[in-house]
This record gives sequence, C-alpha cells and structure tokens, in this order.
Amino acid sequence: MTRSDTGRPRPAAPWCAALALLLACGAGPTALAQTPEVEIQIREHLFYPAEVRIPANTKVKLIIRNLDATPEEFESYELNREKVIVGNSQGIVFIGPLAPGEYPFFGEFNPRTAQGKVIVE
Amino acid sequence: MISAVIIVLREVLEGVLLICMLMASSVALGHRLRWLPVGLALGVAGAYSYAAFLDPISMLFEGLGQEIISALMLLSVAMALVLHVYLIASQALRLTSGRPSRAVLALCLLAAALSIAREGAEVYLYVYAFGVQAGQMASIMSGAVIGTGIGLSFGTFLYYGLRALSRRACLWTCAGIATMTSGGMVMQATYNLEQADLLPGQQPLWDSSALVMESSLTGEMLQAAFGYEATPTGVQLSLYLAAVLASLVAIVLARLQAARKRETST
Repeated sequence: MTRSDTGRPRPAAPWCAALALLLACGAGPTALAQTPEVEIQIREHLFYPAEVRIPANTKVKLIIRNLDATPEEFESYELNREKVIVGNSQGIVFIGPLAPGEYPFFGEFNPRTAQGKVIVE
Repeated sequence: MISAVIIVLREVLEGVLLICMLMASSVALGHRLRWLPVGLALGVAGAYSYAAFLDPISMLFEGLGQEIISALMLLSVAMALVLHVYLIASQALRLTSGRPSRAVLALCLLAAALSIAREGAEVYLYVYAFGVQAGQMASIMSGAVIGTGIGLSFGTFLYYGLRALSRRACLWTCAGIATMTSGGMVMQATYNLEQADLLPGQQPLWDSSALVMESSLTGEMLQAAFGYEATPTGVQLSLYLAAVLASLVAIVLARLQAARKRETST
C-alpha cells in the first residue's frame, strides 16, 4: 500500500523560470523611447495607406484606427501579428525590427478587399 | 460565404483538436465526459463576454489589454496541458485506471473553456457584425455552420481514431498532442507579447515558407497541431522548446514516481 503517494503535479518550476525571463525581457525594450509611429486607417473595409514604408531594423509602433462601425482583425502571417480592432476604435501593434522586404497584411474579416503591406527599406 | 467558411474553420480547428484530445484522454483515464458541457457553457459565456467587452479590454494597460489577456489565457492553457501530460503519464505508467482524479476534470474544464472563449470571441464578433448587423445572416451563418461542420467532422474523426487505439497508445498519443499543442500556445503567447512590445521583436532564424506557407491549408493544420511558424525568432523558438521540455520533464517525473512506487510495493 502506498497511500502516501498523492501524485501531486510538480513540473511548475520551468514555467516560473520562463515567466521570470519573460518579465525580465519585457522591462528592457519598453524603456527605449523614440519608437517611430505610423498610423493606418480602416475605412470602408480598406486600409489607408495600403502601403506603409518603414526603415529596416527598427521597431515601429503601428496605430490602427478603425473608422468603420464594424470590427476588423489586422492580421499578417509574415509579421506574426493579429489584433481585433472593434468599430470606431483604435489599436496599437508593435512590429519589427525587420529585414528589408515586403510584409503583406490583411483584414481577416474582409480578406478580399482589406489588403496592404509593410515595405521595409 | 467562402470567406466565412475559412474564417470560422481557422478559429475552430485549434479548439477542436485540443478538446478532442482532452475528451479521448479523459475517457481513457476512466472519466465520464461530465466536464465537457460545463466547459462548453463556460467557454461560450467567456467568448460572449470577451467579445462584448473587447473595447474596454483592449484599452487596459495603455492599449495592450488584448495582447496581455490573450497571452495569459494561452499560457494558462499551456500550463494546464503540461499538468495534463503529467497526469496522463502517471496513469499510463501505473497500468490501472485508478481513481478518477478531480485534477484531470479541472484541467480539461479550464483548457476547454479558455480555448473556446479565446477563439469563440472572434467568431462571435465576425458573425454579429457582418451577419446580424449587416443583414447578411443567410450567407454568413451558412458559412459559419459549414466551417464549424468541417471542424467538427475533423474532430469526430480524430476522437474516434484516438479511442480506437489501445488504452496505452491512446494516452501516449494524447500526451504527444498535448505537448505539441502547449508549444503552439506558448508560441502564440510570444506573438502577443511581441506585438505589445513586452518581448523584444527579432529577426527570424530561418524562413521555411518556401517549404510550407503558413497561409496554406497544410500550414494552418500544422499551426493548429504544433504551432508551425515559418519564420521563428530566437525568443519564440526558445520559449517553444521550453514548453515542450516542460512536458518531457513532466513525463520523466511520472516515470520516476512510477519506478519508486514499483520498488516500494515489491
């Protein structure tokens, strides 16, 4: 009889370490000021501008203003970004630093019309 | 309508895979699926509340509320999955069905509810805005139903496939799926934290899009299965590996305990 064996799950330590690492990393980049900002508007399920030019190897703060009444999801496989912006609202998405190239994005809720790209140069 | 099918299927696929794995493993562990209706109900309620309060939620933490809440949900599911792997492994190694454990029920409930809440919120927002408000109910709803239907049939296939295996094989396959899924969840959490600038954005280590595009069907399936990423960064890859390692550590711990138990009982 091994009644004392309670089988308590214990593998929490690696997670705590990962979380601590995460928080430690988080403190660094946010402290840097002067992140360039770019505004993108959503009107009638289209992005304005549809092409956003940003410098290479630089972190950029995208401010996405949704002027439609409907929600939109800003999404990009290439940028690994995904954010729902409800109608008549705005959202912030940080991107980069990126290598030169083109990074398409789209509105998931209107994928045929809402298309754009970030051009890094 | 086609875009409605795709949008809904993309959201549903990941949750279906997770829930079917939880269902198959909890049945193999000797549980009835009592957690399922509760988990579904909590998930749907969660999805509705998340969608309804998305604007104020997004405004939290200086506009980064959506990313932070989403990352916390993903990391909680990932942690629940690692614990689930431990519980599966310890039961599989003892070779008995054992007493039904409350921990298994609680973890399944939590993981199912959180995953439905996260994915369901987007589906709700989409269907509500573009179907109900835009007066396009017929096309959006039929698209949503077809998308959900494809997801559910894939789930049924997976569930009965897993149940057709022997108990041990079923448990270890579920443990494998849980390990991969937890890695995928951590991967998604890192995107959210990078998007919120809480983790540093980096140049990718490699680009495998020539092999499998993330936007392709295979890419979507692989992403749902193990968080496939064509252009992973160093931070993403290390956190992903940390998550997979956590599950492996859980299995090793269960093995050690099983060995100790065998020693004491002989």
